[in-house]
Amino acid sequence: MSITYQEALNNYQPLERREPAVETLSTEELLQQYHPDHYKDAATTLQVGPNRGDQCHHQLADMLQADARIDEADLAGARTRQTDVLVIGGGGAGCAAALVAAKAGARVTLATKLRLGDSNTVMAEGGIQASVEKDDTPQAHYQDTLKAGHFHADKELVASMASDAPEVIRWLIQQGMQFDLDKFGDIMLRRAGGTTADRIAYYRDYTGLEMMRVLRESVKNSNIEVLDYSPAVELMSNQSGRCAGAVISNLKECTFELIKANAVIIATGGIGRMHLNDFPTSNHFGATGDGLVLAYRLGAKMLDLDSFQYHPTGLAHPHHLAGSLITEGIRSAGTYLLNSEGNRFVDELKTRDHVSSAILKECTEGRGIQVGDQATGVWLDTPGLELRNPGLIAQKFPKLVQLGKKCDIDLTTTPLLVYPTLHYQNGGVQIDKNGLSTVPGLYCVGEVSGGIHGRNRIMGNALLDIICFGRRAGAHAAECNRRPGHKKISIEHLSSLRRNLTMAKMPMEQKGPMLFPECAKFEDDSDYDGLHKNRNRKISTT
Amino acid sequence: MPKRVGLEYINNPQFTNIDAMENLIEQLVTVTINGKEIKAPPSLSTIQALWYAGYPRVQSVGCLEGVCGSCRILVRRAESTEVTMALGCQTLLEEGMEVNFLVFPTPTHHTYNLEEIPNSWEVQTEFHRIFPEAVNCRSCNGCNKSCPKDIQVKEGVALASKGKFQEAGELFVECVMCNFCMTACPEYISPNHVGLFSRRVTAYFHTRPSNLINRLEVMRKGELKIEIDQD
Ligand SMILES: Cc1cc2nc3c(=O)[nH]c(=O)nc-3n(C[C@H](O)[C@H](O)[C@H](O)COP(=O)(O)OP(=O)(O)OC[C@H]3O[C@@H](n4cnc5c(N)ncnc54)[C@H](O)[C@@H]3O)c2cc1C
Ligand code: SF4
Ligand code: SF4
Ligand code: FES
Repeated sequence: MSITYQEALNNYQPLERREPAVETLSTEELLQQYHPDHYKDAATTLQVGPNRGDQCHHQLADMLQADARIDEADLAGARTRQTDVLVIGGGGAGCAAALVAAKAGARVTLATKLRLGDSNTVMAEGGIQASVEKDDTPQAHYQDTLKAGHFHADKELVASMASDAPEVIRWLIQQGMQFDLDKFGDIMLRRAGGTTADRIAYYRDYTGLEMMRVLRESVKNSNIEVLDYSPAVELMSNQSGRCAGAVISNLKECTFELIKANAVIIATGGIGRMHLNDFPTSNHFGATGDGLVLAYRLGAKMLDLDSFQYHPTGLAHPHHLAGSLITEGIRSAGTYLLNSEGNRFVDELKTRDHVSSAILKECTEGRGIQVGDQATGVWLDTPGLELRNPGLIAQKFPKLVQLGKKCDIDLTTTPLLVYPTLHYQNGGVQIDKNGLSTVPGLYCVGEVSGGIHGRNRIMGNALLDIICFGRRAGAHAAECNRRPGHKKISIEHLSSLRRNLTMAKMPMEQKGPMLFPECAKFEDDSDYDGLHKNRNRKISTT
Repeated sequence: MPKRVGLEYINNPQFTNIDAMENLIEQLVTVTINGKEIKAPPSLSTIQALWYAGYPRVQSVGCLEGVCGSCRILVRRAESTEVTMALGCQTLLEEGMEVNFLVFPTPTHHTYNLEEIPNSWEVQTEFHRIFPEAVNCRSCNGCNKSCPKDIQVKEGVALASKGKFQEAGELFVECVMCNFCMTACPEYISPNHVGLFSRRVTAYFHTRPSNLINRLEVMRKGELKIEIDQD
């Protein structure tokens, strides 16, 4: 039986030294037994679409095989715009793609769900990978990435990313992004769990905030047309099945709009707010997997839809902040994880899937710390770090200190209770090294894409991947799509979607993409009646 | 009042039992949000409170962690006439509090392109061309008072006006671009954009890490190519 929070706090003593953990299970055994991807019934087999027959998390499968939100009737009289490159999603990947495409001379429109920059990118803390140290190489970066992903990643994508990395950092600096520098002006680097060199560049623990505000400012000061509060609800295609634009719902005017484009770049980010397996999440409000649904319906092939990352250190207490992320940087800096007996139980710098599974094992076997009836967790021993490195926390982790304040906890004397939090979608839309999906004219970059991280991602490779492939897709889309517009554009693909769903006897009640988490009650919000007209009409005629 | 959603949807779906939650939580407080009277636990933020009470809330919601600057609210606390600005996701409920959400911040009228600044000698001149109002700062303190991150905004504007861009930028490390200071400024200075400009020119002109430059140089010569089948 786990002990209570108060008891555990009373038992807890800050110590400078603790014995390393003795682990009895191999990584593979640990994952098989404790990783949420392997929970019984977590995955199901897809019945329709390009990945028919493949395994997929059942909650995501429900969305991929949901009915569309709109049909032809919604589009009657809708306003139409025309552009060369349409970017959907205004996080890091979308902004990078838009900036590069615009620089290459394309007319670019960027539609994003809410405010520009409201994204997972802005929340990133730990940093971004690039091999720039003398004793490090792109080859080692490549090797580490493959290994951490259990040799499941697309080698060509990984190689592209690892070799672009130094140039990516330079491009970011040219956009005006700062990095932490040492006294000689060199980029400082720290080590990610599961890697062989110090390879993470960072700006305090605000790397994502710094990146996002710079990219947003860059976009706002360019000729890119930004449509905010404009979630995409469907893609459009031409007579030959090539992607040719999207339908967006304008939340300011409550109308649908058609955006015709020669190429579309989806950069809608992750799925955390689907709360897979009922886990809390570190993700922002808009992380509802919309891009996967849009691309899948148009026929884009997906990879690894049953593989997700649960970050080891989500906050477990207090409850109103549960799920908030505590950066891996703090473990890189040497912080231990302790069970209720005050013992280390895992090498804290192993890969995230390993560390998370180890935490779940402690909690399952009764060595977790219990708060009230529901939340359990283990200690993140920041006081121990403070003893070993006085002042380091305050200096390097201002955001974490803020979080401590919100919890009413002084990190230098009291440990935080942590539990794994749903963090990242490892798989996603299959792409080539230009970010092109299997559907002509449709690019997918950033967290929505798959194949880059295999079945487990290391810290800092996501921020790298979004800029690397964002830039590649932006350049390619601008270059290869100069031909004049399409003849006939439609949402014809929805007819076959509905036919296939009916034939597979799938329930048609659920509509996708999800757009907003359930708690926000978008569907009931009378402010948006204009967007629900069609649904209401259907309900009243049946 | 509309039907209440369980706390399970607010952040942590592990909490499936509302009653258990309510035992765990303190007394409810009564607040008014966007004109609606709501009773909710004081450990919730203003956004969570709306959801808890079953009201929709989509606009102005973002990271829920205080870094995206979307959730701008006006707050009046009980027995006070003063209206303050805050981030909704970071503001916990207090008895008698009145809250109104603001949406769609107006963009700044300042535009610039770093690549059009010929070199670092010209930054100060360009700054005064791009932000001509900055020198008019009347130290009214409106910006500092409105900043939810307690940034010394006014001091930042003064430093930037004097050409001390690196120092100015340092003050804006935690800026989330919520635009409150911009709204508060009677001189239309857009202080947050002054701060961000200061930060950006510092990186653009002065971040020259030799470890990165060396690596780029070696790679430009075609060395350090990745061999794909080596593993
Ligand atoms: C708390 C946290 C910390 C992290 N720390 C790190 C780190 O230290 N290092 C690292 O490498 N990675 C980190 N990651 C992961 C990394 O931040 C993300 O994987 C990455 O930023 C994703 O970028 P993106 O551009 O693909 O998606 P996002 O940045 O999430 O942007 C997606 C955008 O698309 C919009 N959108 C969604 N649906 C639609 C729609 N239907 N129509 C229009 N727009 C839509 C969203 O609103 C959002 O603006 C972290 C993630 C989180 C959540
Ligand atoms: S400086 Fe201005 S924009 Fe930045 S956080 Fe403060 S009030 Fe918001
Ligand atoms: S609000 Fe404007 S005028 Fe007032 S102190 Fe700030 S920058 Fe100066
Ligand atoms: S929702 Fe991002 S700052 Fe509040």
